[in-house]
Amino acid sequence: MTTADPTKFKVAKTARVKGIAMCVANLPGTQRLFFGSSDFKVYEIDMAAEKPQPVEFTGEGHQSYVTGAALAGNVLVTGSYDGRLIWWDIEKREPIRSVQAHGKWIRNVIASPDGKVIASVADDMLCKLWDAASGNPLQTLVEHKPMTPHHFPSMLFAVAFSPDSQLLATGDKVGHIAVWDAASGKKVSELEAPVMYTWDPKQRRHSIGGIRSLAFTADGKQVAAGGIGTIGNIDHLDGPSRVEIFDWAAKTRVHEISDTKFKGLVEQIVFPKSGNWFVCAGGDNGGFASFYDSQTGKVVHQDKVPMHVHKFVLNDTQDTLFAAGHDQIAVVEFKAVPAAPAETPATAS
Amino acid sequence: MNLARRLSFLSLFLLSGNLIAAELVAPDFSIEKAIDHYIQARLTERQVQPAPAADDCTLVRRTSLDLQGRIPTVTETKQFVDSTDADKRVKLVDAMLASPDFAYHFRNQLDTLLMLGQNGAPGEWREYLLKSARQNRPWNLMFRDMLIGNEDDPEAKGATAFVRVRAKELDELTNDTSSIFFGVNVSCAKCHDHPLVEDWKQDHYFGMASFFQRTYVTKKNGIAEKFSGEVKFKTTKGEDKIAKLMFLTGTTIEEPVIQVSAEEKKKQDEEVKKQTQDDKAGPPPIPPFSPRTKLVEVALQSGNDQFFARAIVNRIWAMYLGRGLVHPLDQMHSGNPASHPELLEWLSRDLIQHQFDLRRLVRGIVLSQTYARSSEWNASSEPPAADIFAVALVRPLSPRQYSMSLRIASSSPEAYKPATEDWQKRRDDLERSCEGFANQFELPGENFQVGVDEALLFSNSPQFTDDYLRDSGDRLVGVIKAQPDRGAQINTAYWSALSRAPSADEVAACEQFMAKRTEPVAGLRQMVWALLTSPELRFNH
Amino acid sequence: MVNTRFCGSPDHGVTRRSFLSVPAIAGVSAFAANMRIMDALKNPCLAGELKRQQKSVILLWLGGGASQFETWDPKPGRPTGGPFRSIATDIPSVQISELMPKMAQRLKTTAIIRSLNTRNADHGGGTSLMETGRAVEAAIDYPDLGALIARELGRADSQVPDYVSMYSETEGRHKGGAGFLGARYAPTFLTESMIPPNIRRQESLADVDHQERADLQKLLAKRFSDKRYNASVASHGMAYERVRGIMASEKLFDINQEPQTARDFYGPTQFQEQCLIARRLVEAGVPFVKVARAWWDSHGQNFETHLELCADLDQGMSALLDDLKQRGLLDSTLVITLAEFGRTPNINASLGRDHFASAWSCTLSGCGVKGGAVYGKTDPDGHKVEEGEMKSGDLFATIFAALGIDYKKEYHVGARPIPIVDFGCKPVTEILA
Repeated sequence: MTTADPTKFKVAKTARVKGIAMCVANLPGTQRLFFGSSDFKVYEIDMAAEKPQPVEFTGEGHQSYVTGAALAGNVLVTGSYDGRLIWWDIEKREPIRSVQAHGKWIRNVIASPDGKVIASVADDMLCKLWDAASGNPLQTLVEHKPMTPHHFPSMLFAVAFSPDSQLLATGDKVGHIAVWDAASGKKVSELEAPVMYTWDPKQRRHSIGGIRSLAFTADGKQVAAGGIGTIGNIDHLDGPSRVEIFDWAAKTRVHEISDTKFKGLVEQIVFPKSGNWFVCAGGDNGGFASFYDSQTGKVVHQDKVPMHVHKFVLNDTQDTLFAAGHDQIAVVEFKAVPAAPAETPATAS
Repeated sequence: MNLARRLSFLSLFLLSGNLIAAELVAPDFSIEKAIDHYIQARLTERQVQPAPAADDCTLVRRTSLDLQGRIPTVTETKQFVDSTDADKRVKLVDAMLASPDFAYHFRNQLDTLLMLGQNGAPGEWREYLLKSARQNRPWNLMFRDMLIGNEDDPEAKGATAFVRVRAKELDELTNDTSSIFFGVNVSCAKCHDHPLVEDWKQDHYFGMASFFQRTYVTKKNGIAEKFSGEVKFKTTKGEDKIAKLMFLTGTTIEEPVIQVSAEEKKKQDEEVKKQTQDDKAGPPPIPPFSPRTKLVEVALQSGNDQFFARAIVNRIWAMYLGRGLVHPLDQMHSGNPASHPELLEWLSRDLIQHQFDLRRLVRGIVLSQTYARSSEWNASSEPPAADIFAVALVRPLSPRQYSMSLRIASSSPEAYKPATEDWQKRRDDLERSCEGFANQFELPGENFQVGVDEALLFSNSPQFTDDYLRDSGDRLVGVIKAQPDRGAQINTAYWSALSRAPSADEVAACEQFMAKRTEPVAGLRQMVWALLTSPELRFNH
Repeated sequence: MVNTRFCGSPDHGVTRRSFLSVPAIAGVSAFAANMRIMDALKNPCLAGELKRQQKSVILLWLGGGASQFETWDPKPGRPTGGPFRSIATDIPSVQISELMPKMAQRLKTTAIIRSLNTRNADHGGGTSLMETGRAVEAAIDYPDLGALIARELGRADSQVPDYVSMYSETEGRHKGGAGFLGARYAPTFLTESMIPPNIRRQESLADVDHQERADLQKLLAKRFSDKRYNASVASHGMAYERVRGIMASEKLFDINQEPQTARDFYGPTQFQEQCLIARRLVEAGVPFVKVARAWWDSHGQNFETHLELCADLDQGMSALLDDLKQRGLLDSTLVITLAEFGRTPNINASLGRDHFASAWSCTLSGCGVKGGAVYGKTDPDGHKVEEGEMKSGDLFATIFAALGIDYKKEYHVGARPIPIVDFGCKPVTEILA
């Protein structure tokens, strides 16, 4: 049973934060959010509070932008461009464990839905799996090429678990996707989404784009990749937001969504546990959230979000999303039946 | 320096013309006689024996390049050389001035002078210049057309391109107008009173700018003027100042005070804004006071018009003699006197008295002995200073002159027949077909240098070989390859390319070259190449 | 008419001035001046001096505006600093961005300037300003740095081009030019092809015919030129005389002439290959080579853009410096790494940085430079210059001083004296060897 109705989209609340919020996790059943920032710090913020205030985690933290945050039970794991993964006690807001996980920027950190495994991806082009409880390394998945065909360093932005925690997908700058058996670390499929990568051979001679987000459908049979379509002037994020959905086993593309109503990167995609839609968000200089029908790929609803969204998370009832982005945290509700008396949107500083 | 002293400097410079006027030779002297009178006086004073007159071949080539914008055809050259008519030079000049070629070339010269070689002027601009050159439109009227021409008249609209292409850059409009029409480069005076020239102060620069401050381009790409607006500037002492409408002589214009209510002012501003944004707006409103019109009035008013006349006389002189009487051309001020001040005065007075008739001035210049001297300096002594005009100065061809001359030089001597009836049309075609090649060359400025790119282009580009060295019957190579003997071939090639017969040495050198060639036609092509790339063709000498 | 003052006199400018311009001062003969030009060109004393110098400049032009934060003036941990760390270098007190790891080990060759305040943050205006060392002026067409260097360091009878400019990307492509110095100093401009136009003999013409045809032209031209004392006519002859030499230099542009090891040393990107061509040219005596590496205009995705482009720059620039050093050319070659401006401290919502000309950086390496020096300082967040502010003209004065060119010299355009660097600008001696 769901109470979600994307057409009832409403920015319910925003909180201004210092710097750029790059990633976010939500403690189920609450509006407590944990987010990583461009000021190298990790914060908690309770969006249920009348005036939500970020509270800084203390102790030995990160040395660069904090770009991945995942909750495994009561443990928060964050990753950063400094290459480290840090396990945090969310009540004490102090580190438990710090691991030099990657040689280059960590682009994302996720937890398996069963809470047992942490996956991290980084510009060393490796995906690493970690025991969520002990922090011990489990697997290193080697697949993505370190250099682009044009002799530049490549980047590995995206990783996703299937709902049953059995499968894993990784996606890189040039549009290459690998699907893995998480337990064995064996590659089970490869997919290509080359349009996500714009190489400008003539005007500017560098590139932009890449697969920025991945997600499995609820049945685990399809995998969606998000990013940006072909860009004319790669000085700006001036290209259609783009999602491609694949039947990964058959290696066929099921849907291709190139959306010019909202331009920019699709930074995150989420399929709800139930329901016939999925949601993605991202942006260029502004931000957006778009809901599509998961059967047809057609737009269900799409709207502006007050800032470029770097990451978001759905709440456990799947009718609210918490978005982390440029200078702000936003709560976006899309509830079929308002669960509580309507609040007026408020901005807390 | 105080204002009074500054003014005295200016007036000395300006009045010097009048002071000298009493001593000028009679106004009923012909222009050419006056020129030779003054030039010879200086030569006598300096005890310099000038170079002899150029030979007929050189003279007809030079005159054709200057009046027709191209080398003469072999027929034109030989006709002049072979003529025994005592009056042949006058007849040549008059015929060339009356030819369709003259208007095209003079148009090109004016275009270069007025647009400084910039692209972007519309087609109507060149049409306007061509028509003016054909009709010999007086220079003062052209000035008026260019600055305040009627925008509603489609024919006149070409002229105002002078303002239109510069209207977005006040500095450019100010500088170019001052420099081109008055021979005064005031750009230094923008930032500070001119360091070298007493005459030009910040007040002059911003005073000139004030005449253009209100000029704007409408969305429909017309030019119009705002109702109000002033130039504000900071003096070098840091004082904020509002510029007066001040002409270069120091003459200032007071704008009549018209009371305008705040509401009206707002309406005017909105109308102007609409003109700049809306391409469907009606004709732009005409303010009661037009600074640009005032500039034309003040510049052409008697007394000030000497300034205007001198500048164009100096520029036309430089066009034909290779150097201004005042040099550089945009430095006409008291610190940089003319080499022959009396001659400049005489010619300026003559121009004003003859309603700014430029063709008359050109005719006089090219009929002078001064113009007709040889450019060779055979004496063992060091060549004389350029500013006494004792020897003709060598001038690089303009890109168009060069392109058209190469076309004629490399074609069959029978290919172009200027005396025929359809010549105007053919000349028009020639002009157009030579434009592309011309665009590969730089407009010669002061201290022009040939770059290695040009030499490489001629040496190695397939375009040059395929076009200019083709051996089809309509081309020079094609014609000479059919000729019976080597001597005839060399002779034809020389007449065609260099407008003269080869010397014995040259014949020998060419024969020797040809003797070593294994493929005769390829050899002729190489020989013609050596003539087409000669400096003798590249320059007007 | 040998000007005996020329050698040994500190006032070399006297004869050099007449090179360019016919003085307009009444009484000075233009012909005489032109004669002097010709004499100066042929004067073995002058040629010797220039040859001895054999100095060259390579300009690595970072078109579009590279970020100072991601290169030479990192601000790690500051709100404006971005995600990159700074790293230690071979100069203990100096750190630069981690995106330049190879250059970090080569700062002994390089001086960093962190205090450019050039005020013009528009691509066109900034480019013109940094190419010519001064603001655009309607009345004067100023030469760019390449033309000035070609003029000052080039040999009049050079058998190689003296200003080669490579700009392969189309964005911001701009030929630049010699302005009032004239076509003699205009660049050989290479865009899509690295082979200069018209440098190759047509196959239909045998080499011997090409040569003898030119000999005939020269012989016939002599009759005309000998009796005409004119610098333009002389330049015509000189241009044709240079043709065969320039043609012979074609192979300089061909990196296939280099062993694979050398090509691997520079790397496979277009920019890296062009750095190798630049070295070949300099080695052959070309006084000025520009390699443009566009386009850094990272309004969106600044960090990803710099990850790519800094990798390209770091490899190409460090390989170039190493190679020049190994060949003993670094002491006589000045490598300038420069853009039209830097990028904003503020990081915008597209994770981009915008145009910024108030406090940015460039580097000078090699000839005449005090390696390891860092000049100027910005505030902790990089918003403004705190110490050692430099304008474009100061940079030009410093470049000239590093090369031993008198930065106080003047050209003349007509009667107007044009100082080689803008009024009131002077070199920063702290970074000069």
